[in-house]
Amino acid sequence: MSEIEIESRNLDLWYGSAQALKNITMAMPEKKVTAIIGPSGCGKSTFLRCINRMNDLVKDCRITGELLFEGTDVYGNSVDAVELRKKIGMVFQKPNPFPMSIYDNVAYGPRVHGLRNREELDRIVEESLKASALWNEVGDIPDRSAIDLSGGQQQRLCIARTLAVKPKVILFDEPCSALDPISTAKIEDLINTLKHDYTIVIVTHNMQQAARVSDHTAFFLLGELIEFGKTKQIFELPEKKSTEDYITGRFG
Amino acid sequence: MTSLISPATSNRAAKVMLWVSASIAILTLMFILGYIVVQGLPVLTLSFLLESPRLSGAEGGILPAIVGTFCLMLVTLLSAVPIGIGAAIYLAEYAHEGAVTRIISFGVECLAGIPSIVIGLFGYAFLAIYLGFGFSILSGGLALMFMVLPWVVRVSEESLKAVPGGLREASLALGATKWQTVSRVVLPSAVPGITTGVILGIGKAIGETAVIMFTAGSSLLMPTSLFDPVRALPYHLYILASEGISDKMAYGSSVVLLVMVLAINLAAVAIQRHYGRHHVRN
Ligand SMILES: Nc1ncnc2c1ncn2[C@@H]1O[C@H](COP(=O)(O)OP(=O)(O)OP(=O)(O)O)[C@@H](O)[C@H]1O
Ligand SMILES: [Mg+2]
Repeated sequence: MSEIEIESRNLDLWYGSAQALKNITMAMPEKKVTAIIGPSGCGKSTFLRCINRMNDLVKDCRITGELLFEGTDVYGNSVDAVELRKKIGMVFQKPNPFPMSIYDNVAYGPRVHGLRNREELDRIVEESLKASALWNEVGDIPDRSAIDLSGGQQQRLCIARTLAVKPKVILFDEPCSALDPISTAKIEDLINTLKHDYTIVIVTHNMQQAARVSDHTAFFLLGELIEFGKTKQIFELPEKKSTEDYITGRFG
Repeated sequence: MTSLISPATSNRAAKVMLWVSASIAILTLMFILGYIVVQGLPVLTLSFLLESPRLSGAEGGILPAIVGTFCLMLVTLLSAVPIGIGAAIYLAEYAHEGAVTRIISFGVECLAGIPSIVIGLFGYAFLAIYLGFGFSILSGGLALMFMVLPWVVRVSEESLKAVPGGLREASLALGATKWQTVSRVVLPSAVPGITTGVILGIGKAIGETAVIMFTAGSSLLMPTSLFDPVRALPYHLYILASEGISDKMAYGSSVVLLVMVLAINLAAVAIQRHYGRHHVRN
């Protein structure tokens, strides 16, 4: 049994008066991949964005309950969202590289956190590009604009950029939904490698993907957590009828 | 019901009419430019550019007016850019949409709508008299700043708001602070747009006469400090022409003014190129 890294307890979330998350209680273990599945609008992204407090940016967003990271409530008074996000990285649905060079994209995080030493930066950039399986493709063109890369390369660059900050957790919000099958396969391979060092939470609409990459799966429906368990069990022996219906494509 | 004119004919007619409109627009421009250049060229010598005027400008050159114009632009630029961009950043990134932002935006709109002669009068009363800056580069430059500020604020705000939200989220998700995000990601992405706004503002200001005649003075002497009066080029050519001093000299001054405007625009293009190199290419 591995340690629990992230745990939500009775988490409720409202956007204005609309409740988007209802009493979510689940625990995500360390260095495992947890997949979140469910139909569009069921609150997957919302839940993911609670973990690194990206919902702080949304006006009129109100949260009750607890969200523990390493045992501390991330919404507690003593927690600084900026510090928290150094430990909990996020990769978004749409690749969003900065309009800068490849190098500057990866070095952005370390620089923002005060690193100036060029050799150290070089080392981190190389490491991160290697870890995101991009080094072979862009290692010799670090000064090229990131905007010129393909969508799949851009997404791996975004992963490299996240790795460069050395987080403990990486949140993926449908990282492959804008990518072709080959790029998708590369990202999935990458996730399978990264899970040895990072705790990963991934939102996906792709059932096969959830089955391939995750250890645990959570099924959300209309803001509620319907079922959470080992991926194998969720896919082979779901306890709830709605889970089974969703997985087998009978609704969604 | 079928139309009497076939689609192919109307297509051809539309093409001809658009071509005619475009030609008229371009020809008008060419004519104005050509006329001014032809009229002004005879007086355009090195000494015209490098000498001080004699006999109220009927002879000699226009160097003090060129220098004065540059100084005014510099004061305007150095004051309008930080204040304008600062205000725009506040409006676009920090202020929550609400009463305060609406009041500020409304104020900015109003400032944009004030006729330049009124700004000149205000500049005279407030800068020249009340603050004691007198007729000077400082008074003139700051009065022009009042005039261009709305442009700079509005265009900068639009450019900042046009930066994709995904970039802000990406930066914040890496543990950057709001200010780091704004200064390192959002602002650089908005630079091309902001530059255009500033250039538009400066382009407006450089040809402005009403504001500076109340604030910058009309001295033809070479300025030696910010507190010296100057006569800017447009005002110089206005006096040359309206007081019948010398039409030739007025056209010569116009050509120099046009070249300065052109130079500013080229600088803007260069800046846009420099910052635009990371933007999506098709
Ligand atoms: N910023 C916001 N302001 C108000 N309502 C929001 C906001 N973001 C999301 N919602 C609402 O919250 C609910 C959950 O949205 P969320 O984006 O979490 O769904 P999702 O499961 O990620 O869907 P998808 O699979 O389409 O990405 C939806 O009803 C959505 O309309
Ligand atoms: Mg989503």
